[in-house]
Amino acid sequence: MADYLASPVPQMTDETFWLLRDFVYEHSGIYFADNKKPQLENRLGLRLRANNLPDFDKYYYLLKYDPQAARELRALFDSVTTNETSFFRSPPQIQAFQEKVLPEIIERRVADGGRTLRLWSAGCSTGDEPYTMGIVVREVLKEAVVGWDIRIFASDISEKALKSARSAQYSEYTLRSVPPEIKRKYFTQSGSQYTVNEEIRSLVDLQYLNFNDAARVRLMKGFDVIFCRNVLIYFDDEAKKRFVAQLYDNLNPGGYLFIGHSESLHNISRAFKLVHFPGALGYKKE
Amino acid sequence: MDEAVLDVIRNIQDLPTLPSVAMEVMTLAKAPDVSIREISECIYRDPPLATKVLRVANSTFYRRGSQEIETLHRAILMMGLGEVIGITTSVSVLSLLGARDSRGASMRASFWNHCVATGLIARRIDRKLGMKSQGRDFVGGLLHDIGKIILDGYFHDRFEQACELSSRRRCPLHLAEQEVLGTTHMEVGHYLTRKWNLPPYLVDITLHHHHPDKAQFRDLTALVSMADLLAKARDLSCCGDTPPFVLKDQEAWETLVKLGYPMDGLDVERITFEIEDIAQEVEAYITAASEAAQEAAHG
Repeated sequence: MADYLASPVPQMTDETFWLLRDFVYEHSGIYFADNKKPQLENRLGLRLRANNLPDFDKYYYLLKYDPQAARELRALFDSVTTNETSFFRSPPQIQAFQEKVLPEIIERRVADGGRTLRLWSAGCSTGDEPYTMGIVVREVLKEAVVGWDIRIFASDISEKALKSARSAQYSEYTLRSVPPEIKRKYFTQSGSQYTVNEEIRSLVDLQYLNFNDAARVRLMKGFDVIFCRNVLIYFDDEAKKRFVAQLYDNLNPGGYLFIGHSESLHNISRAFKLVHFPGALGYKKE
Repeated sequence: MDEAVLDVIRNIQDLPTLPSVAMEVMTLAKAPDVSIREISECIYRDPPLATKVLRVANSTFYRRGSQEIETLHRAILMMGLGEVIGITTSVSVLSLLGARDSRGASMRASFWNHCVATGLIARRIDRKLGMKSQGRDFVGGLLHDIGKIILDGYFHDRFEQACELSSRRRCPLHLAEQEVLGTTHMEVGHYLTRKWNLPPYLVDITLHHHHPDKAQFRDLTALVSMADLLAKARDLSCCGDTPPFVLKDQEAWETLVKLGYPMDGLDVERITFEIEDIAQEVEAYITAASEAAQEAAHG
């Protein structure tokens, strides 16, 4: 038994990788492209050890046939989602938000005469995402920002994460994808810590919200854009369908939903229009 | 079409021509009762071409089993006639118009990256839909934009202007081409593929890949049209604007629905994720095809 713990994690053959990849996609909607094999190997390697199994074939067998599979599935999901979050995470999505989605929505609003923007970071964790959204909005609107009524709702189920988000303090590492001029403009540096400036913090409204609290989630109305990245994985299929249908209702017509970079709604919802942006997918409510 | 530009193209003395054997293979392939022997003997009459075709057939890109394919006869038996004719076409065109040519290197590189990506994606979708295009999917993708190479080579400045106009105005490249050059890469490609006596499906794809519903080979043209868009969404585009799009609202998608393909079951998200690392596959294919071309030239 101790042998497995001491020995290095065994290699995953291509065939087993394809089996496990398809299994993970089918059950979670998260896709590991061929070049992500080392990543999957690494993550599942931990599960292999935890289950004291000699190779990935046995692990696949466990997932597929073992009575304990349901419990293992949860642990597997935890290990395949990176809990790590950072500013400007998944740059092509942020770019689509900045260059295509926001200008489209802003143009429509200007035509309507109602200068409001309502955004939601659903599952905001330590705040990197909603503050990134705030920075992007500020960059797109520039000086015109003063004429707009902008609210970015940011919700999470973890009080600890929310507390950290409220402090708005981040390490150099979390800011690694942030361009230097953005860093200078929107953060105050003190030693190795960076604090988000008040201008951006004032746009963001941090709130505790449990997605299972259907009554409260239903109240979240009138959003132009929702970011709900790497959240759906924690729901089973039925709950996923309900929740995504709810998010659809929470959006304004013409609004967009962004989910995790390699997450899929293929079997979850047909209500949205799937939009291809350069390097990223978005879901539009028509 | 602007007769002036077409006249210039018609009168270009050094307009690239395909090797005569390659042309002959295309002609032979059109005959309904062509035999394996006829095709392989024809290709063997151009030994450097035969060598290139075998090398590509043995590259990691095509090779299935561990056994090396040593003769064209065997290649046709193992891969099918369609695939081998496809490889012959791609290798001829690639060595003629150089994927690794130094002239205008960066445009050429992104051009061939886009074309190979389109071919590879078309091949994937072909398999998912069970279309059985037998290699015509890949060759169609590879050659759909061939007119751009001519426009870039002979009307370089005006073609660049068209690309800039397309980006600036956020309009499709062929509209900008029409405005600046008085013709489009589709029309030029159409002229070239007919001059080269390429199979009708390629003539069709070059002309109609932006309006597949007008094509005669509607399924193949729609397939390439979809692959073209998906390659662009992967940032593998060459020149011009890449606007966001909804695949299911495209003419290509609607055409395939009308033709009865199981589009409802196609997992577009999954295809999109699968082609995330397509750039690596593209690089591998171009390397195989270029090495084949170089080694044959030296050998």
